Amino acid sequence: MADNFEPKIVAFLCKWCSSAGSDLAGVSRMEYPPNAVPITVMCSGSVSPLYILSALNKGADGVLVSGCHPGDCHYIKGNLYARRRLYLVKKILEFVGLEPQRFQMSWISAAEGTKYTQVIKDYVNQVKAIGPQTKLRRNL
Amino acid sequence: MVKLEELKEAVKNILDQGKVKYVIAYKTNPNSLRTVPFFIKDSNDVDQITWNPLCVYNLARFLVDEKRRKAREKNPDTRPVGVVVKGCDSRAVNVLLQENYIKRQDVYIIGVSCEKTGVIDEKKLTKKLNGRRAQKVEFGPDSQFIVTTRNGQEKISAAEILADRCLECQANFPVVYDILLGEETKRKPEKPFQSVEKIESLSQKEKWAFWQKELGKCIRCYACRSACPMCYCDECVVDTINFAVTAETTAEEKAQKIKWVEKSPLLSENFIYHLVRALHLAGRCVDCGECERACPFDIPLRFLNKKLEKEAKELFGYKVGFDPDQPPLLSSFKDEDPEDFIW
Repeated sequence: MADNFEPKIVAFLCKWCSSAGSDLAGVSRMEYPPNAVPITVMCSGSVSPLYILSALNKGADGVLVSGCHPGDCHYIKGNLYARRRLYLVKKILEFVGLEPQRFQMSWISAAEGTKYTQVIKDYVNQVKAIGPQTKLRRNL
Repeated sequence: MVKLEELKEAVKNILDQGKVKYVIAYKTNPNSLRTVPFFIKDSNDVDQITWNPLCVYNLARFLVDEKRRKAREKNPDTRPVGVVVKGCDSRAVNVLLQENYIKRQDVYIIGVSCEKTGVIDEKKLTKKLNGRRAQKVEFGPDSQFIVTTRNGQEKISAAEILADRCLECQANFPVVYDILLGEETKRKPEKPFQSVEKIESLSQKEKWAFWQKELGKCIRCYACRSACPMCYCDECVVDTINFAVTAETTAEEKAQKIKWVEKSPLLSENFIYHLVRALHLAGRCVDCGECERACPFDIPLRFLNKKLEKEAKELFGYKVGFDPDQPPLLSSFKDEDPEDFIW
């Protein structure tokens, strides 16, 4: 079971950068694992902590939030708000005993198709190593 | 030492002068040791006011209720509301002011200093008295409490029966007030984040086991939310039942309401609820400890909030409730905020 575990990753991608970056990776025919489910959001700053918790609650093994590099935000400073807020999310998840790797953040610009594939590869491997997420998953 | 007579006098004065609509204070409950919140309109009732180490409640919560009540009235009385606040409560008022939820002219703050002590934890007192029933608890000299039982008076040092939050309190005097009773004292706790550090030192497995045990007890009565002065949203994200339904709300709108969290008290749902609540209180929680006190299952909810308070202070240099003009924690940033967790 553990050997062929394929994690399900929810990736919140900023429309202006990371989403375009993933598009670049796609049109350039770069290969990367198909585990990530991309969700385009208008800004990484619009990602509420509730989205992350809810994704884990509804069966995600890991959550990735990706936005623009500091200074490149389409809305000037959305990613800087996100950086502060999501840091607290990471800290509190760790505090209640979740693996800190369950949540990851990255900066990927629209030109960084290769970085996108690398981040997805690394993150999938990381989540694969810690196994399925069952702690916050809803069991009805 | 805060003299009760001074407090009564102050309340009587402002009521007689017609400065305030009413005053929110504490009074003794004739049937038990505890105190109850007391709303005074008539200055003849001031004799019932009390101030003792059992005044645990955060009366700032009632300012939220007052604002809602005022919004419903056709011709509201625009005079301010008087409120008796301790150190932590005054910080709660400060956060409400910071968020522009209430206006400074709508509240008349009567600050009472805890003077190096604080309020007691009833459970600790019961344990300490070992079966005897306390009839009265008073502030004593030298950080002591004077407890009266059937067998007479007894002095107990504050450190033994103080509530946990008071042991970690960083400013036990009001930071915002119109009148201040008692001295402005400073008692710096040696380890302000002692309780959180204890949990942080556990391994990941132990942390999970601890929270699994604690949050597994939650029955989702939402007492923590009701007692919290900062939980003032009209519509709570975890509980669609209080989503504001008006005559204009269509069936479609009701059906499309997102259900983020199940109402059943399942472990996973309890986790989401308490984590969301902790994150919503990040940079707003003043550590008044009301959630923990109100909890019928004694879940140490304070730890979650305290943890975020600690992170906010250490990483972002943010202190909650001391300055009503500072930008809120999550609506501001610094260029040097930590970035090491980002790929």
